[in-house]
Amino acid sequence: MNELVKELKDEIIEALNLEEMTADDIDENEPLFGEGLGLDSIDALELIVLLEKKYGIKLADPAEGKKIFTSVASIADYVSKNRKK
Amino acid sequence: MHRLLIQSLRWLDVRMVYLVTSLFVIPVCLLLNTNHSRTSAYHFYRHRLCYGRLRAAWSVYINHCLFSQVVVDRFAVFAGKHFHLDIEGYEHFRLLESEPKGFMIFSSHIGCYEVAGYSLISKTKRFNALVFGGEKATVMAGRQEVLGHHNIRMIPVKEDMSHLFLVNEALDNNEIMSMPADRIIGSAKSVTSVFMDAEARFPAGPLSVATMKGLDVLAVNVMKTSAKHYKVYVARLSYDKHAPRRQQIQQLADSYVKELEHRVRQYPLQWFNFYDFWSR
Repeated sequence: MNELVKELKDEIIEALNLEEMTADDIDENEPLFGEGLGLDSIDALELIVLLEKKYGIKLADPAEGKKIFTSVASIADYVSKNRKK
Repeated sequence: MHRLLIQSLRWLDVRMVYLVTSLFVIPVCLLLNTNHSRTSAYHFYRHRLCYGRLRAAWSVYINHCLFSQVVVDRFAVFAGKHFHLDIEGYEHFRLLESEPKGFMIFSSHIGCYEVAGYSLISKTKRFNALVFGGEKATVMAGRQEVLGHHNIRMIPVKEDMSHLFLVNEALDNNEIMSMPADRIIGSAKSVTSVFMDAEARFPAGPLSVATMKGLDVLAVNVMKTSAKHYKVYVARLSYDKHAPRRQQIQQLADSYVKELEHRVRQYPLQWFNFYDFWSR
């Protein structure tokens, strides 16, 4: 699980162009949107595409997406249970 | 109010409505300047186009008259009226439509883009348009009634981000996705480009979506040429799909801005972004 969390942090940094950050700067339990990492709607779409491309996970339900994208830890938990790649 | 206007336009000539708004409504709006449209339009003509004071003031009046006319035209379409359309660059649309992959259309707040929906109809791909979520119910109903049977789907921007899932689904299904690319709405992320000789910020969203999926992009601008005529300009935008992502975004922004500036200089009186567009 720890490996997946680290991998996700690196993927998020690359996909969202957070060049000034390293994986260590991201707390896997802090909120991704609003306060915390401060991501917004455009970043959410990047995350949807990331999960699709990297892990073969297709998200279609906004309510489910909101829960999954709460934090890096919640994404890792969902990916570990639903990944197809 | 909207419903009454739509009903009136079923039998009223649009030119009658133009006349009434130009003589009675626009002068009052300009005098009150409640939403600062007069100030921002004057600033645009005076400082961006370097007009003299008198010409700038007159341009503000004509600009507001034209804005009211395109709003009336929009409702006239909902009322079943038709406008004559000439299309320049239709071959770009036809070419992308014939390819298996979906593509994107970037629109702008100049002229009246809504009229384009009736001309750029695809037989093979559904046309999805991202629209402002706060539109009045009558506007949304009017759009749906007129556009729904043309294989066009409206996707309103919503707080719960559900529109993102629909955008993603549309592009995964190789459909056409249209978005305004000149106003920063929702996400505050932006890309800077030189527009009308000064740096301006453009929304990162449409650029980000196109480059993340490696999609081809068209800029479509629909300009009013007379009471019953519009001209649709379709231009292919360019960016290097093999360049680093950040460069792709900048190249696409610059390409879009170049086309936008070309049309704004061609039709300076149809610039309808009534706020300080160049603020930092």
